[in-house]
Amino acid sequence: MTFREKMHWASLLAILAGFGWYFAMLLAAGGDASGLHDYFAGLLVLVIGGLIVVMTFAAIVMAIAAPSEASASVDERDAQIHMRGTFYAYYTLVVGIWGIGLAAHFGFGLFIILNAALGLLVLCETIRIGVQIYLYRRGY
Amino acid sequence: MAKPPFTNDIRTLRFLAGEMTQAELGEKIGVTRQTIAAIEQGKYSPTLEAAFRIAQVFGKPLDEVFCWTDGGE
Repeated sequence: MTFREKMHWASLLAILAGFGWYFAMLLAAGGDASGLHDYFAGLLVLVIGGLIVVMTFAAIVMAIAAPSEASASVDERDAQIHMRGTFYAYYTLVVGIWGIGLAAHFGFGLFIILNAALGLLVLCETIRIGVQIYLYRRGY
Repeated sequence: MAKPPFTNDIRTLRFLAGEMTQAELGEKIGVTRQTIAAIEQGKYSPTLEAAFRIAQVFGKPLDEVFCWTDGGE
C-alpha cells in the first residue's frame, strides 16, 4: 500500500468519524437544532480542528514509517486515480447544488441549507476518496 | 476493471536484467513500485511515455516489451 493510499484511508476514516458524529448530533437535535446555531458552529470548528490534528498526526506517523514513499512525487497512475475520483465527486456536487438550490427556493431555512451544503461537501469528499481507494485496490 | 488488450514481459525482462526489482525499475522511469506491479499484473495501462521509458531501460523496442493481444480492430 502506497503512502498516498494510506493517507486516503486515514482521510476517509477521519471524515466519516468526525462528520458522522457532527451529523448524528444534528439529527439527534432534530427540529430544535435551529435554536442551537452557536452550539453547532462550535461543534463544526471542533470537528474540523480534530480532522486537521488527526491527519497531521497520521501523515507524520506514516512518513516516519516509510520516509522514501512519503517523499515520492505523484506518478502518472496517482494522477489518473486522483482525476477519476474528482470526476465522480464533481458530478455529485453539481447534482447536489441543484438540489440545495431547489430546497432554498421552497423556503428551507438558512441553517438547514448550510448544513445540507456541508453534508454535500462531505459526501463529495467521501466519494472522491472512496473512488480513489477503490481504484488503488482494484487496479487502474 | 477490464484488462488492457495487451500483455507485457516486464517481469521476465526484469529477471534477465540482473533480477531488477520493481522499485528499481520504478525509480528509473519515475513511478512507484506499486505502479510497476499494477502494470505487470495488467491492472494499469501505462502512458505511452512510461511504456517507452520501460522499453528504454531494458534496451528493447516497445513491441518486445508490450504485445497486443486483442484480435479485433
